[in-house]
Formats: sequence, C-alpha cells, structure tokens
Amino acid sequence: MEQMLADAAERIFRDQCAKEILDAAEEGQFPARLWQLLCENGFQLMAMPDSGAELADVFAVLRVAGRFAAPLPLAEALLANRWLGEEGGDGPTDALNTVGLVAEDDNTHWRDVPWGRAARRIVGVADDGGVFAGTPVAVTQAVNLAGEPRDQVEVQDVEPLPCAEPAPALLALARAAQSAGALERVLELGIGYALEREQFGRPIARFQAVQHMLAMVAAEVAAAGRASDAAVAAIGSERFAFEVAAAKSRVGEAVGLVAEAVHQVHGAMGFTYEHQLHHFTRRLWAWRDECGSETYWQALLGRRLCALGADQVWDFLATSS
Amino acid sequence: MLQFDPVQLPEGTEALRHEVRDFLAANADRISAPNSDFSSGHDAEFSARLGERGWIGMTWPKAYGGAERSFFERYVVTEELLAAGAPVSAHWIADRQSGPLLLGSGSEDQCARYLPAIVRGRSFFSIGMSEPGTGSDLASVRTTAKRVAGGWRVNGTKLWTTGAHLNHYMIALVRTAPAKDNRHAGLSQLIIDLAAPGVAIRPIRNMAGGEDFNEVVFDDVFVTDADVVGEPGNGWSQVTSELGYERSGPERFLSAFRVYVEFVRLVGADPERFEAAAVGRIAAHLMTLRRMSMSVAGMLENGKAPNVEAALVKELGNNFEKLLPEIARAAAPSGGDQERFRRTYAETLLLSPSFTLRGGTREILRGVIARGLGLR
Repeated sequence: MEQMLADAAERIFRDQCAKEILDAAEEGQFPARLWQLLCENGFQLMAMPDSGAELADVFAVLRVAGRFAAPLPLAEALLANRWLGEEGGDGPTDALNTVGLVAEDDNTHWRDVPWGRAARRIVGVADDGGVFAGTPVAVTQAVNLAGEPRDQVEVQDVEPLPCAEPAPALLALARAAQSAGALERVLELGIGYALEREQFGRPIARFQAVQHMLAMVAAEVAAAGRASDAAVAAIGSERFAFEVAAAKSRVGEAVGLVAEAVHQVHGAMGFTYEHQLHHFTRRLWAWRDECGSETYWQALLGRRLCALGADQVWDFLATSS
Repeated sequence: MLQFDPVQLPEGTEALRHEVRDFLAANADRISAPNSDFSSGHDAEFSARLGERGWIGMTWPKAYGGAERSFFERYVVTEELLAAGAPVSAHWIADRQSGPLLLGSGSEDQCARYLPAIVRGRSFFSIGMSEPGTGSDLASVRTTAKRVAGGWRVNGTKLWTTGAHLNHYMIALVRTAPAKDNRHAGLSQLIIDLAAPGVAIRPIRNMAGGEDFNEVVFDDVFVTDADVVGEPGNGWSQVTSELGYERSGPERFLSAFRVYVEFVRLVGADPERFEAAAVGRIAAHLMTLRRMSMSVAGMLENGKAPNVEAALVKELGNNFEKLLPEIARAAAPSGGDQERFRRTYAETLLLSPSFTLRGGTREILRGVIARGLGLR
C-alpha cells in the first residue's frame, strides 16, 4: 500500500514540479493543476480516518513530496482534512484547508499559516497541543526563507476540535519526512553534478576532496532517512513524541551539513536562481526551524532522559527498535 | 541510493537482554571502571564467564561449540556489554572477526581446533594487518612467509597489534609470493601462535598511558601448512571481506557512551534548557545510529554483503564517538559532583584519536562510500 501510493504520487510530482512551476509558486501562484491532479486521485482525503490508508502511507507520500519540493502545503492540507473531518462538519472537498499556529495571546490571529491566502478553512494548533478550527477573514501575506507562503491570518468562528492526536508532533514529523526526501534529492543533484562537471580535464567526481564531501553527505542523508522512518514507525506508541524529537533533531543536523557541502560541490552554478538546487536547500533550511527547531525537540527529549536518570538512559535508548 | 531497512528485533531477544543485564549486575565487581571502548578492558576471567553463558561465538555452528543464534541476538549481547562498559577486549577480536573468518575461509580442521576454545572464552586472537610501512595501503605488507618442508617460515614486523602481549594467536596477512603486476595477489593469511619460538612482542605505550597495542617481530617463525587460512595467495579477498562485514557493530558508535551516562548524572533531573538539549542531541544520534547498525545486522542475517552500508555506519558512528565528548563538555555544568564525569571524559578523550583510525581510517571509508555512490 505504502509503496503503491508513494509511486502514484511520484508520477504526479514528476510531471507537476518542474522548475517553472516552483518559480511561479514562489511568485505567489498556487499550483492549481498539481492540486487538481492530487485531488482527482484522492490524495486530499488520504489522511481521513476511513480512507483505507495508514498515517505511515501519508508520511511516505510527504517524503516523496519533499523529493520534488512540491510547492503546496500538502502535509497541512491532509492533516487539516483529517482533523476537520473528525468534526463531522461539512467535510473536506477539493478546496484547500491548511494548518497554522495559534498565537499565544490571541486566538483570532494565527501565524505561519502555509498558503493561508488560498485556504477555505484553517486548523490552528496551540503550543499546548490544543487544536481549533477557524474560517479566514483577513490575510497578511508572508513567506519563509524558501519563499513558501507562511501567512498571518485573522480567523473567525473559532471552535475547538476534538483531536486526540499529538498534533505538534505530527506536524514536526511531516517536516522531518519532507526533509528526508529533499535531502535525497540534494544528494542526487550533488552526485550528478560532480560526474558531469569537468575541471582539469576530468569530472570533479574524480577528485578525492569532492568524493569525501559527497560520502559525508550520503552518510548524513541515510541517517536522516532512517531517523524519519523510525518516528513514522512509532506512530501511536507512547514514545511517539520522543521518536519525533530524535528524528527532527537528527534530520535538522543533517540539513546544515548537507546543504553546505552540496552547494560547495555545485560551485557558482548552484548559487544562481536559475539552478534548481536552491529550491531544495532553502526549503531544508526553512523546514529545520519550522514545527520546532532541533534545540526545541532536543530539549524535550533531553528532559525526559534527565528525569529517568543516568542509569536508565541506556534502557530508554535500547528500547527503540 | 543506500537503503537501511527497518528491522524488528525478534521475540526472545528482550529476555536475552535481561539475562545479560542480570549477568552484568552479578559481575559488577569486574566493571569497577566502566569504559565502553571495546579495546580498553582485557579481562580473561570475565571473558571465560561470558563463554560459560554461551555468549561468545553465539551465531556459530553447534558442531564447533556455537549456539547457532541469530545476528540480532549477538547484537543485543554486544550492545549490552558495551553500554555497561564491561571489559570485553580479550575475546572481542576472536568473536567478531577471527572466528567468522575461519568459518568462512578456514578448513574444517582449523574450525575444530580453534573455535571451541574461543567459544569457551579461553582462546584470544589478535589482528595482524598493519606494519611499520603499511597502514591504509594494506597490500604493501612486507612480512613474508617462505615455503619450507611442511610449512612456512615467517619474517617481518606487525605493528599496532592490540592485545598481542596477552592473546594466544594472531591471524597475520603476509606475502607468500612476490608482488608483481597485481599487488593483491600473493598475499596469504596465517594463524600464528604468539608463544612460538621467534616471536618477540614489545608493548607500545599510547598517549593515554595505556599499553594495549604492540610491535610484534617474527624471526624465522615456523607455521605449519595446516595453519594457512584458505588457499595460499587468497589473502586479499579474505581480508577485505573480513574488514567489510565487521565495520558496523555497536562498538563503532558506543565507545564514548559512558561519558554520556556520567554527563546525564552530572546534569541531574532538572536541567537548564541548553543542558537538556545537549542530552537530547546525543540521544537522537544514538537512537539513529543504533537503528542503522541493526539494519546492517539484518542484511547480514539475510545473507547479504552490505560493505558500503557498513562503511557508512562506521563513518557516522566514529565521527559521533568523537562528537559526544565535545557536546557533553560544552554543556557540562560547573557545579555538582564532577569527579566521575571528569575522569570518564578525560579517559575517553585521550582514546578518541584512535576511533577514526582503527578498522579502517575515515579517509579509507569515505573512499569505500564514494565508490558505492559511483564517484570512482
């Protein structure tokens, strides 16, 4: 199931995430055709409790979306539909719903709302994990450092949703899974460019300095992928938040090293807007800070281990399989 | 793209884990200074007790004293021993490397003669690869074995031989035919009795003050034909597979683990945010490395040859072993009972240069990974 859905999604992304579409999205143009194709294939409903798909399938698709830098808020759309659907209200349609953060002191102004400007309904997640539904009335546009819309939205008709899930951890895991996918793509781009770019009469891949950078990158990318998979496998377990913490932390550390090294491999070409590399590296840099930075999640995991005490640390680590 | 599939530890491994913990608690007197570095504590008595429990050579055939248990069960035993900082160095190489080499390439006679004593924790082996002029460029070994009646005469010097002054045997890579166009040809592996006439062993003090590794000089040492591992001349392919498969175990990322335990103890139950983040950061690395290492164990269990994946785990794991004391040091509070943390930290830091050298340097491993990526 997981592989089938991921493959189907990959076919759509491969067609609909060309450089021009990524560029246009950054200019504020919603990728309507991409969203339409995803909806025609039922992806917008896949996180609904009765969809037949598991949450693990959803994260597999999000990882593929990351590989293609799919320029729409897929994680938020799927999770919003999941959480709104449980409300039993008017139900999801092809209209875009999304998920933002409830401002600490004001439950009518939500921030960091991906594509809030294009959304019909918005789910707001509070710091303490509380989940609310709201309808947008006014939008102040803003973007993250990858140029992805992260709007401030004034909402009305706010009502709490009966969400029994750890929404902040699921959102953080979405970023980890997307990043794991984008990291794979960045590694591929680095290998491809090193084999194709010639200097001193041979591909730069023949130089040991370049080989060693890319070997380090491959190791980081593999670690990020494994960490993300492990957290997905822990969905529903009592350790879930801590597994997400480990994943978000490990993936975030990989991002800094990988983006730096693969830009170095690409030379000035990778520093141009014309090259596609930045669509992936800028997203990676943005995503590592969204839904809780490494430090946030490390501290959450660390407090748990400190509470257990030094002589229980190993037992905690060895219980993860 | 390199794939590390999730593995689930089979049922029964948790019971085994608790057996090992009970054993460690009962033998706490032999772990007075816990150190997770696999080459630090040489304790023949401890190894013999492990042997009695059936925890050495546990994946090997019953015909040779083994228990025919899975790679996962061996994984659980080794990680528990290392995490507790138990002295495992005496039997480590024989269990991890020499035994599997004999099972894979040795004769039935060799297996029958050597494996049962290894399994009982009574027979210890050293690795004879490096030489004064030979480190990463292993094919350049100059120790020779010349044909004589009934066997071979060995001359030359091996270097950095961990435990040679305490162990019983070395499996040495030697040149049995001169190097020609193909420098990988003409190499052979011999089992050498370290008590044989003509063997001179001189311990070399390391920068931490310890004497774990040695220079071993062979002066006309006789080795019988029966102690040549595999066919003469086949040494290179044997030695590379030996290195390849054994690079990804928990000893490749747990060497500094006791520093972490003492760091958490020092930080206490109510940490500052940056202290908690340091604790969590290390945990995130450990959880991920452990899973990657288990993924490789799963590939071995399925009969695959994950050379590149193993090199990758070692590369990540060794770098992390060096990073761990740095993270802990930077975040360690200045108050509290410092003694245990400071001692463990200093001991590990002084050993840490070896982490990215032994078993293949970081540079050699990156070359292996780069080849796997199609870059060379």
